Amino acid sequence: MADKEETKAQILALLTKSKKPALYLKDMQKKVDAKPREIKNAANELVKEQKVMFWSSGSSTMYALPDRAKDEDARGV
Amino acid sequence: MPKHDTPLLDQLESGPWPSFVTDIKRQAEKNDACWDILGQLELSYVDKITHWKHGGIVGVFGYGGGIVGRYSDVAAKFPGVAHFHTVRVNQPSSKFYSSEILRKIMGIWDRRGSGMTNMHGSTGDLVLLGTFTEELEEIFYELTHDVGVDLGGSGGNLRTPSCCLGKARCEWSCYDTQAACHDITMTYQDELHRPAFPYKFKIKFSGCPNDCVAAIARSDLAVIGNWKDDIRIDQAAVKGYLSGEFAANGGAHGDRDWGPFNINTEVLDLCPTGCMWMEGDTLKIDDAECTRCMHCINVMPRALRPGLEQGATILIGAKAPILDGAQIATMIVPFIKMDPENDFEELKDIIEKCWDWWMEEGKNRERIGESIQRIGLPTFLQVMEVEPLPQHVKEPRSNPYVFWKAEEVPGGFERDLAEFRKRNPM
Repeated sequence: MADKEETKAQILALLTKSKKPALYLKDMQKKVDAKPREIKNAANELVKEQKVMFWSSGSSTMYALPDRAKDEDARGV
Repeated sequence: MPKHDTPLLDQLESGPWPSFVTDIKRQAEKNDACWDILGQLELSYVDKITHWKHGGIVGVFGYGGGIVGRYSDVAAKFPGVAHFHTVRVNQPSSKFYSSEILRKIMGIWDRRGSGMTNMHGSTGDLVLLGTFTEELEEIFYELTHDVGVDLGGSGGNLRTPSCCLGKARCEWSCYDTQAACHDITMTYQDELHRPAFPYKFKIKFSGCPNDCVAAIARSDLAVIGNWKDDIRIDQAAVKGYLSGEFAANGGAHGDRDWGPFNINTEVLDLCPTGCMWMEGDTLKIDDAECTRCMHCINVMPRALRPGLEQGATILIGAKAPILDGAQIATMIVPFIKMDPENDFEELKDIIEKCWDWWMEEGKNRERIGESIQRIGLPTFLQVMEVEPLPQHVKEPRSNPYVFWKAEEVPGGFERDLAEFRKRNPM
């Protein structure tokens, strides 16, 4: 079992350096050394700690750092 | 007074059917934002393009679902719908509301939203249409604290489970769909409220193969009531149908005279497997051939009933036509017990096996049915620890090769290479 704090640190590092501003859980699974369920739990805990935000289209959900997450409203027309 | 001219929408009120335009105009008398909905929609009809922007970071704290962000791209013209977020409310099992609960929900929604609803969304939620970002936490607090309801699922989550009326109203229900739906909803709260999966995952519960919630066509995991033993036959009631004492289909087609009941043309000839016949005035069924189409039971409900050994069949992988076209679910597990006494453990084992595999193997935005299609049903059956059945075979094979796995071959594929080279030097 992966260490949760280590998994959270890896997720934060990935969200910081990723070219895409928001990532799916599956994107994290390719880069973070932990099982899918551990990654999901760690990512959701980061949301609780307000270090990460959800971005949802309504049908699927991505994770992003608060300063990189853009609302549709902010994207302009 | 209308705020905007809407000649194209007005035309939609001229037909003989109820019009959503009339409904929104009526609501606009109470809520000014509804005039802006009509104004923006009229503009969309003129421009032939949507003026909604979907998605975003809106939500309530700690939840990764239940709110779907929506904004107008012409907010300066229609400020009442600058934000128009959707709130999904988890419906009660079988949608049995009390009028008190509905009044409370509408009290909140008239005060904090557009007052417009969608009863219900196709997932099953009660959908509240249109509110501003700053109202979301307030709405969530009031729904959860004052009404005692919670948000439903959206995004890459377990979507709000839904069920048919089940044993509450229906004599054919082979398990308690409401108990199962409620139990699964409560057990998987984390998966419902926080994203866990590559894409959406829907579970629907139907009490019998009539499948009144269309689980077989609309859910990633369909739990459809079924029986293992024989259809129960009341031969005296069969004679009652033959003599005209009882109306076919419970009298549902009694609006005109269809002539006397004919068991041959109305039942026996329509049986898809031809497993029914009459011997004199006695009805016979070869139950091993029955495919559970329910037609005979629907036509003669007094005479025929599902068997007594009841449970459910699990079908997996239905979806709407987003990528490869619509797909109906595949039967995976023919029969399980649906026992509230052991908290539906058999069902939960199946659900969790599916999730564990799909979380590993599924691609982004790939439904489990698409993963099965891409990777292959034989692999999925192995994961589920299900022995393949003839019904799992879609078509005769067209590939002449047979691929064996090491464990299927006596002695496996391991061999002593040195020994082999002694006999066959290079």
